Amino acid sequence: MTITGSILVTGATGLIGRRVVASLLRRTDAPVVVLVRDPARWQSIAARLGAAASRVTAVRADITLRALGLDLRTISRALGTPSLLIHSAGDIVFSRSLAESRSVNVEGARNVVELAYSFPDVRLVHVSTAFAVGRRTGFVTERDGPDAAGWVNAYEQSKYEAELIVRSSDLDYVIARPSTVVCDDVSGTVTQVNAVHRALRLYHAGLASMMPGTEESPVDVIPADWVADAIVRLALTDAAIGRTIHLCAGDGALSLGTLLDRTYAVWSRDTSWRRRHVARPALSDLRTYELFERSVDLVGDAWLKRITRSLSHFVPQLALPKHFDTTHARALLGDGAPPVSSYWDRMLEWLLASNWSASLPEAA
Amino acid sequence: MTSIGAIRYEFPAGTRSVRELAATGLLESTAETLESLGFAQIRVACEESSYSLALAASTRLLEESGVDRDSIGLLVYGGAPGGLAFAPARELASASREVVSAARFRYPSTRLQYDLGLERATVLAVDQLACTTLFGAVRVARALCVGEGIERALCVSADMYPPLAGREALFNCTADAGCAVLVEREHPRNRIVAARTITKGYYWNADAMRDEIVASYFPTARHLITETVRAAGWSSDDVDWVIPHNVSRRSWEILMGLVGLPRARLWADNIARDGHTLAGDNFINLHDALSAGTITPGDRLLLFSYGYGAHWTALAVEA
Repeated sequence: MTITGSILVTGATGLIGRRVVASLLRRTDAPVVVLVRDPARWQSIAARLGAAASRVTAVRADITLRALGLDLRTISRALGTPSLLIHSAGDIVFSRSLAESRSVNVEGARNVVELAYSFPDVRLVHVSTAFAVGRRTGFVTERDGPDAAGWVNAYEQSKYEAELIVRSSDLDYVIARPSTVVCDDVSGTVTQVNAVHRALRLYHAGLASMMPGTEESPVDVIPADWVADAIVRLALTDAAIGRTIHLCAGDGALSLGTLLDRTYAVWSRDTSWRRRHVARPALSDLRTYELFERSVDLVGDAWLKRITRSLSHFVPQLALPKHFDTTHARALLGDGAPPVSSYWDRMLEWLLASNWSASLPEAA
Repeated sequence: MTSIGAIRYEFPAGTRSVRELAATGLLESTAETLESLGFAQIRVACEESSYSLALAASTRLLEESGVDRDSIGLLVYGGAPGGLAFAPARELASASREVVSAARFRYPSTRLQYDLGLERATVLAVDQLACTTLFGAVRVARALCVGEGIERALCVSADMYPPLAGREALFNCTADAGCAVLVEREHPRNRIVAARTITKGYYWNADAMRDEIVASYFPTARHLITETVRAAGWSSDDVDWVIPHNVSRRSWEILMGLVGLPRARLWADNIARDGHTLAGDNFINLHDALSAGTITPGDRLLLFSYGYGAHWTALAVEA
């Protein structure tokens, strides 16, 4: 695809969005407009982009408002006609109510689609999630949606509903379905702590009693830099139009048992940790885990209840094993996500060295 | 191969319902919570002493099994220490001063040998194993039966609380009882096929490490049970009955799920009616399940217990 106009990006202050902008600046010469709620926040991110940041204009916008609250004539006058709109904004907190998640993720997608109709020949890239398929298990293709079992949390459901809005449009669209982001890149650096890191911290603290899943359950995770760059490459690829693409580890995912063993191996390099004989969390079926959750609710202290509740919107996915098909992503991109084995240990080392850096922003 | 040749136990005369305990301020949780976890009543001592419960259980075992007392070469005692063992429950608080006097040398283990007429038995006592005390005693007995050629060993535990002591420990209702277990080298029933124990000394300061201890309970229990079943040469499907310690039924349902056993194989009849008698639970339950005919010869049994803080232990037994 040849970019003839500007590029609009929502969610540019987010973990993926800021990297999408960086990739756009590397791969195109087009002016980039970031549509952000807080332009001042964008400025702190722009400072890290170097000279290329001069090609970026920040415009205050809110995806929960019609036309994102923008004055389109002003935008067009100032920035020309956009030819690409990458929608990576969303509410990624798993514990939100369905109404809350929908208000941002579904209505946001609706507003972004309407905005896209305002421009001739704009291509829309919608960033969804691989977990839009919810509780579906087994080999998951990009054509799949949720099955009758539904979703684990409102986030997943709202992201699927947003996909439906994009698909029902007659725009040129690409839907990217990234897996769970666990670090910035293969160096293992973490700049946004999420439920995976919190679960690992519990394990390190000797406080992780149980988790649902089996030794063989694949755990699909990816680094942020790769997924952001993949989103941009898909955006620039004509063959991706009208497709839903998994941006997942796929065959490069490790099993839950392997991840726990590798985690134990890294942490036990510390003699004092090894001497504590911290038990590996017991893996259970979902029914047993839910019984454990209910017991914690009944008899646990406030701290344990808080921890268990915070994980309850995420950990059931561990007992719903999925093998994401990445055939199309590989064909379109020419490569796949870095194998999890290439950065998992370094990510753990980073978490240890930074003590799960309390100063980092949290998500999910 | 050693076996469990006989089991007898002694409950105190008193019982208290969970609601009575709650009404007298002896529980931390509400009665409704403990009832939802499977408890209804507990056995409570008043006039009995720890020693009297141990003596009564042992005497009954010797009389009813008809075993030759001279064939018992070892007595392993796991009850209250000297100074506290002989005081009735209602006098326990005042008796505690004996622990720091010469009276502490009045050992219940040696008295038990004398009172039972076990003239050929040497005496050992095990301590600091919490609810796994009787398992520890059986473990010692097995080792000495094999190592020193002892034909029979009598293992005895007795647990008792003062009247005003709290009766709840980690959402479990604790009860009083004495229990005696005869370990034999040659006995056709209840052969101990495998035994495994894990001690995690890191948790020695149990009060201060409650959260970590609670978190470690299930994964370590699952690991130990799996190892015990494997050591017995069984698969989990081979286990006909799990004979529990009487902690909450809910926690057992979780543990059964973790080890992949159907809940129907948990013999949990005594949790509601007896409460958690600390060290005696599994063996009292084994006795009752055998007496009820629920367990039949050849059944494969798994006994698991946990000593608060640091000890996980299990026996694989072929009935």
